[in-house]
Amino acid sequence: MRARVLLILVGLACLAALPLFATSYYLYLAELAMINVIIAVGLNLLSGNCGQISLCNASFMGVGAYCTALLSTRLMLSTLISLPVSVVISALLGAALGYPARRLSGLYLALTTLGFLELVGIVIEEFPEYTGGIRGLKVPRPEIFGFSFQSNASLYFFVLALTIGAVVVGYNVRRSRYGRAFDAVRQSPFAAQALGIPVARVKVIAFSLNAAFAGFAGSLLAGVVGFIDPPEFGVLTSIQHVTFIVVGGLGSITGSIAGAVLLTALPEALRGVQEYGELIYGFVLLGTLLFLPRGLVGVVAKLKALRSAKPSAKELAYGAP
Amino acid sequence: MALLEIDALSVHFGGVVAVADVSLSIEPGEIHGIIGPNGAGKTSVINAVSGMVVPQSGSIRFADRELAGVAPHVISSFGLGRTFQHVELFGDRSVLENVLTGFYRHQAYGLLAATLRLPKAARTERNTREQARNLLDAFDLAAFADTSAGLLPFGIQKRVDIARALAAEPRLLLLDEPVSGMSETEAAAAVTTMRKLARDHGITLVIVEHNMRVLMNLAERVTVLNQGRLLASGTPAEMQAHADVIEAYLGDAA
Repeated sequence: MRARVLLILVGLACLAALPLFATSYYLYLAELAMINVIIAVGLNLLSGNCGQISLCNASFMGVGAYCTALLSTRLMLSTLISLPVSVVISALLGAALGYPARRLSGLYLALTTLGFLELVGIVIEEFPEYTGGIRGLKVPRPEIFGFSFQSNASLYFFVLALTIGAVVVGYNVRRSRYGRAFDAVRQSPFAAQALGIPVARVKVIAFSLNAAFAGFAGSLLAGVVGFIDPPEFGVLTSIQHVTFIVVGGLGSITGSIAGAVLLTALPEALRGVQEYGELIYGFVLLGTLLFLPRGLVGVVAKLKALRSAKPSAKELAYGAP
Repeated sequence: MALLEIDALSVHFGGVVAVADVSLSIEPGEIHGIIGPNGAGKTSVINAVSGMVVPQSGSIRFADRELAGVAPHVISSFGLGRTFQHVELFGDRSVLENVLTGFYRHQAYGLLAATLRLPKAARTERNTREQARNLLDAFDLAAFADTSAGLLPFGIQKRVDIARALAAEPRLLLLDEPVSGMSETEAAAAVTTMRKLARDHGITLVIVEHNMRVLMNLAERVTVLNQGRLLASGTPAEMQAHADVIEAYLGDAA
């Protein structure tokens, strides 16, 4: 426990010191990684804990991004308003999708969410007078109380603070009655019902919560990148989000963070090898799935288990940390 | 006034008749055994009462509410709990977390309080944790609190299942073969715990078993099912001497 707190503090110190030596490009990359962390934490609650697959995560990210873009360019609203409003709209849409999808699972759910993704894509492209259509939209940097995050360091700290907030919220949900209900619904819907847990409603809550996280991340993404267009919120992005949590570790917040950071950094690290980059990325992905079925957090748990001589070694290897 | 009143209950699966025209009533505070050979329809009765299976016909009344066709989680919220023959534990969660999950419907804080961990949520969680620890102590499970439930031997998992069901504070608890997979000593201890439980908390117990011996010194009344039908009911001693019951168990060779 103490080691964990220490690790978190050291990590935060490193993150806080990053603007001192990183170039603006690496700061930008760090911001993207953090946005992906928010995405992964939210998606892991839905898929890793509640066991519901979603291929339209990018859509909710898009909803958040476009809401923020429109609110800040058309209505000139401060980020203080546009961000929460975007999150709420996204969460409501998540509930609207989660409600009809609450009795679906597996392939049917995957196809339903894919349909929703197409729908959102079409809406964005069919209303170019608002969304800019396929030409996209320019988005100003975030602004609070008249202070615009124009400098790279200030934007970085803005994203960092909100990411920490989102991770803490994810952690709070995990250890609340809702987090336990998510796990219960995934592992045994029968037992969950027998304990008075309304399985269908819990699934809708998980969908809505995930959409809120994705909308939040999308809202930040719009301000950080400064430009949004439909391809950003397509099925490939959704699948990328799924790989974050599968590689990191399903049902684990640490895994969400590890997977999102690694898979954001990897393509950049592989830039030097040009066209072989994607090949290596593919191999890393396949390798993780084949050899680390519980993701990166599974490896850490296994190492811990090897080192400790306690009889609880076995459960560390299998139980989620 | 009976707490649970089952009247002319029938459960079919396609063409298979699992339960046919079974009626029985269970008084408050009673320990009632349901017994029968394999395929007698014992678990189907429990499934129908707990809402996991919708009966073809008949009525199930619990504390004056009709249960047939009501969703399982609603039935649970009426104060009717159950355990499972093949324990349905949340395998990769710890024993403590399994029991904590049982408190779900008694924890009153909402989603916003949960996301921000408002004082109300934090306080509720602290209290729940203490209650859960007490339950673990009562079932001699404290040593396994942090162990993943799925890694435990079956007999211990059975105890976790009962402790988790009790966390939901049921008025009536349906136990589906609670001592199967337990050793003789474990089973004896479990029987003692169950009797104590029924007395101390005023919980009505309905225990499904195929082993007559378990019920002999536990149940006050026993209902015997055979091939989906009600065969006989009475005290355990009466049932043990009942010619039809002996025949159902030993076959009609005699």
